[in-house]
Amino acid sequence: MFEPPVQRLIDELARLPGIGQKSAQRLAFHILNVDEVDATRLADAIVEMRRDVRLCSRCFNVTADEECSICRDLRRDPAMICAVERAQDIPVLEKTHEFNGRYHVLGGAISPIAGIGPDQLRVAELVNRVEAESVEEVIVATNPTMEGDTTALYLARLLKPLGVTVTRLASGLPVGGDLDYADEITLGRALVGRQEL
Amino acid sequence: MVHGYPDRRLYPPLMALYRDQGIVLRGYPFGEADRIVVLLSPNRGKLRTVAKGVRKTKSRFGGRLEPFTHVDLILYEGKNLDTITQASIIEAFTGLRSDLDRVVAAGTMVEVADLVAQENEPTHRLFLLLQRGLRVLDHGDLHPDLVTSYLLKAADIIGVAPALDYCASCGKTDDLHRFSFAAGGVVCERCRAAGSYALRPGLTDYLAVVAEADLSQLPDPDEALSREAIGVTRRFVEYHMERRLASLAVLDG
Ligand SMILES: [Zn+2]
Ligand SMILES: [Zn+2]
Repeated sequence: MFEPPVQRLIDELARLPGIGQKSAQRLAFHILNVDEVDATRLADAIVEMRRDVRLCSRCFNVTADEECSICRDLRRDPAMICAVERAQDIPVLEKTHEFNGRYHVLGGAISPIAGIGPDQLRVAELVNRVEAESVEEVIVATNPTMEGDTTALYLARLLKPLGVTVTRLASGLPVGGDLDYADEITLGRALVGRQEL
Repeated sequence: MVHGYPDRRLYPPLMALYRDQGIVLRGYPFGEADRIVVLLSPNRGKLRTVAKGVRKTKSRFGGRLEPFTHVDLILYEGKNLDTITQASIIEAFTGLRSDLDRVVAAGTMVEVADLVAQENEPTHRLFLLLQRGLRVLDHGDLHPDLVTSYLLKAADIIGVAPALDYCASCGKTDDLHRFSFAAGGVVCERCRAAGSYALRPGLTDYLAVVAEADLSQLPDPDEALSREAIGVTRRFVEYHMERRLASLAVLDG
C-alpha cells in the first residue's frame, strides 16, 4: 500500500483494460514525476473527452456533435451502410479509402454461447435506417469470427426481405503471407470467394 | 538447505510439452492479442488454454481455433493455463457455419458440453456425442428434434436422464401424463405433486423415442410435439444445471 493519493491513482489505473498492478504503479510514479502542467493536460483530456464526446444519433460512431463527421459529409453515399462491431473499426476501414458510404456501429456481435442476442445490439436501429434512408446495400464488416459470421447471417435473414442487398467483407489470405501457412477454413473461404482476373 | 536436495529455483523443471485433441467450445479475448480457448478433449475433459497472438489477422493459427473446430494440438503446460504452440484441423465443420439455425444449434451443443464437462476428467462419451452432433449439423438435414435428442443424451451421460417410461416417484409404468422436474421425469396421477405439469398426449412416448434414436436417424417429426419436447427438455436441463441455456434463447426476443 502506498500513501492514499498515490494508491488511489494506482487503483484507478489498474481498472483499465490490459493494465495490471505493476503497470499501474509504473504509470502512477511516472505521472508523479512529470511537470504539473503535463499531468493536468492528461486529466483535462480525460474529463473533456467524457464531457464532449457522445454517440452519433444516426450511426453511433463517436462524435462531438449531434451527428458524426461522416454522416454530415454530403459527398458520402447514403445508399450504402457498412455495419461494424465497434466504433474503433471505422478509422481502420476509412484508412483503406475504398468505402464512400456511411457506417452503423452495432455495439458488438451475436454470440449464441455468451447469450448475446440481436436485441442487445443496435439491430433495430439499423432496420429503421434501412427503411428510412433508402439504403440499397448493407456491407456487414463484423470480425471473421464465429460471432461475427453469426451476426452477418442474422442480418442477411433480417434485411434481405426489405429489398436491400446484404454483402459480407470477403475473407481470405492475408496479403504478404505464404499459402502453405493458411488454415483450411481461411483457404476454403478464399477459394469460395475467388475472383475472375 | 539440507544436503542432497537441489534448489528447485536453480533447476527449474523442463517445460512439459504434450499433444492432445479437442473441439473448441468457446474463446474470449485475453490481453492485447491473445485469446483464452476452451476445448473439450476426450482425454482431459475441459481444457482451458491460451493462444498467443491469435487475434492478429496474420496469426499463424488463422481460423483453426474458432468454436466448433476439431483440432489436433501441441501444448506446453503452464502454471494456470496451458499454451497452444501448434494447431491443425482434424474436422472444420464448415457446412454448419453458413446457416444461422445450424450455428445456433451448434452453439447449444457446445454450451451444454461446456457446462457438463469437468477439467482433468476424461470424457469420451460426451466428446463423441458432441462430435456426432456437429457432424449431423454439418451434413444432414436440420431435424427439429436434433437438439432435444442431444440434450437428453447429454443428461444421460451425466446420470440425470429423465425417467420417461416409468413414474419417477413410484416406478409405475402406466398413467404417465405429467412431468416433474424435481422428481426427475414423468410421474403418475397418484404421485403428481405441486409443480408437475400436464404433458400433451403422446409426448412421453415421443420423448422416449427421441432420447433413444441416433442423432442422424431421428423419426419423422411432429410439429406440435417437437415444439413441446424441446420446451420440456430445455427446462429440465436448465433445472439440473441450475442455469439458463443462453444459446437457445439468443434468437427469441
Ligand atoms: Zn454518424
Ligand atoms: Zn407414481
